[in-house]
Amino acid sequence: MTVRRTGLRVVIIAAVVLIVGIAAAALAMRNLWSGRTGGPVQAVNAPADVVARGKYLSEAADCAACHTAPGGAPFAGGLPMQSGFGTIYATNITPDPDDGIGRWSAEDFWRALHDGVRRDGAQLYPAMPYTSYRGMTRADADAIYAYVMQLRPMKVANRRTELNFPFNIRLGMLGWNMLFLHDSLPAVSDGRTPAWQRGRYLVNVLGHCGECHTPRGIVGEMKLSRSLIGFALGRVAAPDITPAGLASRGWTAAGLRAYLGRGLARQGSAFGDMHPVIMLSTRNLTAEDLNAVAIYLLGDNPPPPAPLPPPDATESAEAASGAGRMSYVALCAGCHGLDGNGVPNTVVAVRNNSTLRLADPRNLIVAMLDGIGAQNFSHRASMQAMPGFSDKLSDAEAAALANYLRVTWGGQKGDVAASVVRALR
Amino acid sequence: MILQTRPLTVTINGRRYGPIDVPEGLMMIDVLHEMLGLTGSRLGCGIGICHACVVIWDRDDQTSEEVQTCITGAGFFDGKRIRTVEGIARRNDKGEILALSPVQQAFLDQFSFQCGYCTPGFVNAATVLIERLKRAPVPRGQVEATVAAALEKHICRCTGYVRYYQAVRDLILATPGLTRDAA
Amino acid sequence: EGKTAAYLGQAVAILIYRDFARFRFAKEKLQFNDAVIRYGAVTGPLQRDPWGSSRFVRVGGPTPYDDDVFSCLKQGPVSPSYDKHEPVWPKPARDGDLGAQGMYHADTIQYELAHPPAEWLVLTRNYATQSGDTAALEPDNANGWYDADEQELHLVVPTQSPQEVAEGAAAILQRSRIGMKRLFLHPCFTVGYGSKDHCTMPYYGLLAAVYGDGRPVRLANDRFDQFQSGLKRHQFSMGYTVAVERRTGLLQSFRAEIVANGGGRANCSVALTLVGATSAQSVYYFPKNDVAATAIASRAIDSGAARGYGALETLTATELMMDEIAGELGLDAIEFRLRNVLKTGMRSAQGAVPLGTQRAETVLEQARDHALWTGRASRKQVYDAGHPGKYYGVGFACIQRRFGTGAEASLAKVELAPDGRIALSHSGTEIGTGTSSGQAIACARWLGRPADALDMAVTEWPDLPVETSGDPHSISQAEQDRLAKNPRWSPAYASASSASNSSYYFSHVTREAARVVYLHGLWPAALAMWGRDGREAAREVKPEDARWRDGALAVEGLELLPLARLAQEAHARGLVVGAAVHAFNRWQWAEADFVVDGASARAAVDALSVRYGGGAGAAKEALSTTPNRYQVLDRRTVSFPPTQNNNAMVGYNTVVGTLAEMVVDAASGKVTLLSHHTILECGNMLAPELVSSQIQGATATGIGLTLHEWLPLYEDGPGNGTWNFNRYHLPRGSDVAVWTQTADVLPPLSDREPPKGMAEVAGIPIMAAIVNGVAHAIGHRFRTLPVTPERILEVLA
Ligand code: FES
Ligand code: FES
Repeated sequence: MTVRRTGLRVVIIAAVVLIVGIAAAALAMRNLWSGRTGGPVQAVNAPADVVARGKYLSEAADCAACHTAPGGAPFAGGLPMQSGFGTIYATNITPDPDDGIGRWSAEDFWRALHDGVRRDGAQLYPAMPYTSYRGMTRADADAIYAYVMQLRPMKVANRRTELNFPFNIRLGMLGWNMLFLHDSLPAVSDGRTPAWQRGRYLVNVLGHCGECHTPRGIVGEMKLSRSLIGFALGRVAAPDITPAGLASRGWTAAGLRAYLGRGLARQGSAFGDMHPVIMLSTRNLTAEDLNAVAIYLLGDNPPPPAPLPPPDATESAEAASGAGRMSYVALCAGCHGLDGNGVPNTVVAVRNNSTLRLADPRNLIVAMLDGIGAQNFSHRASMQAMPGFSDKLSDAEAAALANYLRVTWGGQKGDVAASVVRALR
Repeated sequence: MILQTRPLTVTINGRRYGPIDVPEGLMMIDVLHEMLGLTGSRLGCGIGICHACVVIWDRDDQTSEEVQTCITGAGFFDGKRIRTVEGIARRNDKGEILALSPVQQAFLDQFSFQCGYCTPGFVNAATVLIERLKRAPVPRGQVEATVAAALEKHICRCTGYVRYYQAVRDLILATPGLTRDAA
Repeated sequence: EGKTAAYLGQAVAILIYRDFARFRFAKEKLQFNDAVIRYGAVTGPLQRDPWGSSRFVRVGGPTPYDDDVFSCLKQGPVSPSYDKHEPVWPKPARDGDLGAQGMYHADTIQYELAHPPAEWLVLTRNYATQSGDTAALEPDNANGWYDADEQELHLVVPTQSPQEVAEGAAAILQRSRIGMKRLFLHPCFTVGYGSKDHCTMPYYGLLAAVYGDGRPVRLANDRFDQFQSGLKRHQFSMGYTVAVERRTGLLQSFRAEIVANGGGRANCSVALTLVGATSAQSVYYFPKNDVAATAIASRAIDSGAARGYGALETLTATELMMDEIAGELGLDAIEFRLRNVLKTGMRSAQGAVPLGTQRAETVLEQARDHALWTGRASRKQVYDAGHPGKYYGVGFACIQRRFGTGAEASLAKVELAPDGRIALSHSGTEIGTGTSSGQAIACARWLGRPADALDMAVTEWPDLPVETSGDPHSISQAEQDRLAKNPRWSPAYASASSASNSSYYFSHVTREAARVVYLHGLWPAALAMWGRDGREAAREVKPEDARWRDGALAVEGLELLPLARLAQEAHARGLVVGAAVHAFNRWQWAEADFVVDGASARAAVDALSVRYGGGAGAAKEALSTTPNRYQVLDRRTVSFPPTQNNNAMVGYNTVVGTLAEMVVDAASGKVTLLSHHTILECGNMLAPELVSSQIQGATATGIGLTLHEWLPLYEDGPGNGTWNFNRYHLPRGSDVAVWTQTADVLPPLSDREPPKGMAEVAGIPIMAAIVNGVAHAIGHRFRTLPVTPERILEVLA
């Protein structure tokens, strides 16, 4: 999810502030002049179909992921986003007049999504992904507004952002915006069909996938030239989801639809930060929209999924007789099976699993060390919890196990060294 | 079909077993049941969820932890020390039971279990918890939360958990050294 | 070749392996592998008539205490014929046969509900409960070996119904060619919640044993297998229409159509649906009832006697409806219930007057006055204001449920050693509920101490020959009268452990056996030991009035006599030191007269054998002809409960009410129980610890069925072999309000009131209490279970 990692590289904002200081100051004055507090409580009476569409769009845009804190009231904010420089809290977007956005007009709402400016004129931090939402149509923004304005108002006060100087100067964001706020994000695949167009909107704008999957530069900006090629901001890396990246790990449109629609595909199940994304957002997409997302991610002419290459004979013989295989049989086979096929509706297959097919062993090692909590999906699917093995595997054993898995079922090289594991502990 | 085997040497309840040839890929619960005659550990789900099958792994650093034997291969236990429910009570040389452990006695006194199928797992979990509290006592006010957290993973269909939890709580509160006064 | 499977998950083959490791690895290859079975042409599922269907019509008299115009008890239930697999009810006719008359009244009721008087409120609601797994933690299994030389078959099986397995196994083997002289059944302690009753696994084990080449064969489900093949809970759909008079808040009329999905094998669905249908009116009096109930056949897994046995489902629906009606009338939900509560002497929905004092009113009053209930509105206000996004609620439900099956039978043998040690044998089996402890304790009433040695699930009773024939539920009065002339005959032999039957029914036989030993062994021994004083005493004190104090017999002014001394004396004098009894109950005990050791004796049993102490003379010795030296007594007279009781379908009820306090989280849709409080009446408790542990356990199951547990019926369901506890969430400690739940048990009406069955009932009211509490919390009434977070989110969205 966006936020946890976005707040992070705000570090260099100060520098940017200097570069674009003057222009920023002028703009800032304008924003603040036009900013308002107080004012009438908005009475929004949108037709039911607009509200329903707004609900759908808010799910596609995954608003709840940040604006509903764990254990908190829906859309009442409070999710803390840690950064090296302090903590940013998501805000209350229920229509409470005092604690929420009950006095915001549709125009105010639009400005927040489109320009990253609050109703009071202050700048938002890009933890709120307005860099992606900027591409949203006004009609969609208004529909989301209509939806959130009829939610139950929640009396939950916003928490103050706790950034240290100079990052607590919101004005700094003005300069940042001038450099990095674009009207539209580049396409990652080729296509021109309506479905592809729709997919691009869903992925780049509403789904704001790039906020995690696109690498970030030194001031926390998305490096758009390398859109969606994957990035590791959190513990679990967001993998490469460009057409080439997906195809190299065996993904097909059907696989993506299953994964995004249900959390489960032959290629694996959603874990880490993707699990809540599926649960809160993508599983609610219509079949057409899911298909559009898959078409956009792979392009109108999707590359064929790469078959699992036969394991390198010497490497696999080595792996099969070594410590990695012993650990697999001792710790993994009880659930994933000696043949790596898993158990339907219970345990994912490791054979041909997308995570094993990543060249970067990071996610595999993280899963081995930390385990994966029980994952409930819609449709009563539920993968049992995977225990973490950090206390049962030494660095060398974990590396050997990773290599066994990569060589045997991932088509990757058995080149993971113990030091890689140690670095991830 | 030729079965690959691997030698297993393991210390269970203080007694050394092996090396015995164990077909590769057998889970520990099957070795306990089929090869070692230790049938006290229960198979409830077979996928690591219910914790009826747990044994206690005594680590070299003097700590102990639960391990689900239904999903853990025999090979994992090679060279290790474990306790099964058969090893919890105090026995004499002939293997006769001299005294139940405090946990077992508490479960009995408080009518904690019904069908008893989950009981080996609860005995082991509570034993591990008490051993942990010996090393790191908790404030008295946190005992209930500590018990609940330690037993949460164990499934019991019969009892509704109340008498298990109460028995462990009361035992902890009554045993000197497991709790401290303030936070 | 082959034919269409009767249901999803039906077994097709048993593979027998000779060593475990090969079995294990073969199973890994076969399990989850759909290619293993080759299917032929696609036929579609079998289309079959329902397993059964009946209709229960009653039109009461002018008051609840008057004779009925028409009732099940007097005229019997109405049975349909079938057309296109749907029940077709008889044509109504006021003066037709009983079925036609019944339908005449049903029609009238229906018409009245469609055209109600102005002051009536008529509500129609549809309810549904889910299919589920009993999830007994020990999966089904069976072990056996066949000794071809001796032609003996041994079966070691965990079962709730040892007698049924013994008979079933014998019947199968009789028809086989293998030749078998003896069948040894070794039942073991187990747990089942209904899934090890009427269960096929023992017979699969038997077949495997026969083909095991003389080796012992073990057949055991893993959890996936158990979900795939274990007996399931019936899925219920219930359409209820209830009329109530607005002004008085008095219930007027009840109409229901109940459909239970029995799955693909004829099992106990008909009986279970009948119990559900006839329990639906719960603790309330309705002047008119028309309840049609059908158990359908489907391609779902076969369903069984899952805890609650049909009543859990129909009662839950009733209690949801009661709350809704109270809400419509603007009445407090408990006050509304109190206005309509069934009181002692009122007629039940079947037209019978339930036995004993009805205590629902007391339970309701206690709940009404409980702090959880009285303070709920203000607590909600405070809580909701202080916790944005969280909604506080309190719900209540109260039910009554009969215990026992209406044809309960069991055997017990109580034997006293010369040193006073007590040995008890019983036909009942232990399924984790504490039956064995309870039966041991039941000895104390007459012998002063619990039994020292126990033998449960005994299937062989060489000392007490009892014959049985016919079906106790459907036998005619004439047939029963004819058969009763045989002093060995009884309508039923031995009951399974089910229907909460141990504390009342099992204890009865234990106590009757102990009473015989007391009256014909210990009391005469005591009189002898007291000498002349004793003879005086005998005139003044009835033996039943003597009391045990610390294991010694105490009569005012006489020497205390410890059991050991009495036993020694009874043995020395050749008095009765052992008794084996068989008893039968059809909402009433059979009673018989015997001559015991020269004295005439009446007992609530239908068969009795006694054993004399070592000092018995040659004459008594000669009469003691059984293997364990018992004398088999011929009853002189016997009175079996009339067969009409079969239509009454109410006998002994236990009442329980539960208050549940919860919070609904708007963000996750999760319902968290803060606490719950149960109020139960169950007569004299054998062991309070066992009662409270049954409340706790049953409540947890109720919570599971309300909020978590659910199985799809068909292709996605457990028949596909991929279900386990990852998808079927059983309640954990954090789900049940482990530290905050409480319970009150009403004091017994007298110290003579027998213990009542309660294990099954205790888990039922929590279900509707939670759903009613959710309505209090968020203002939405759910009518389908389970109430999952997704469904709550949908409502709150
Ligand atoms: S049997 Fe091992 S966890 Fe359930
Ligand atoms: S006592 Fe039966 S499962 Fe826990």
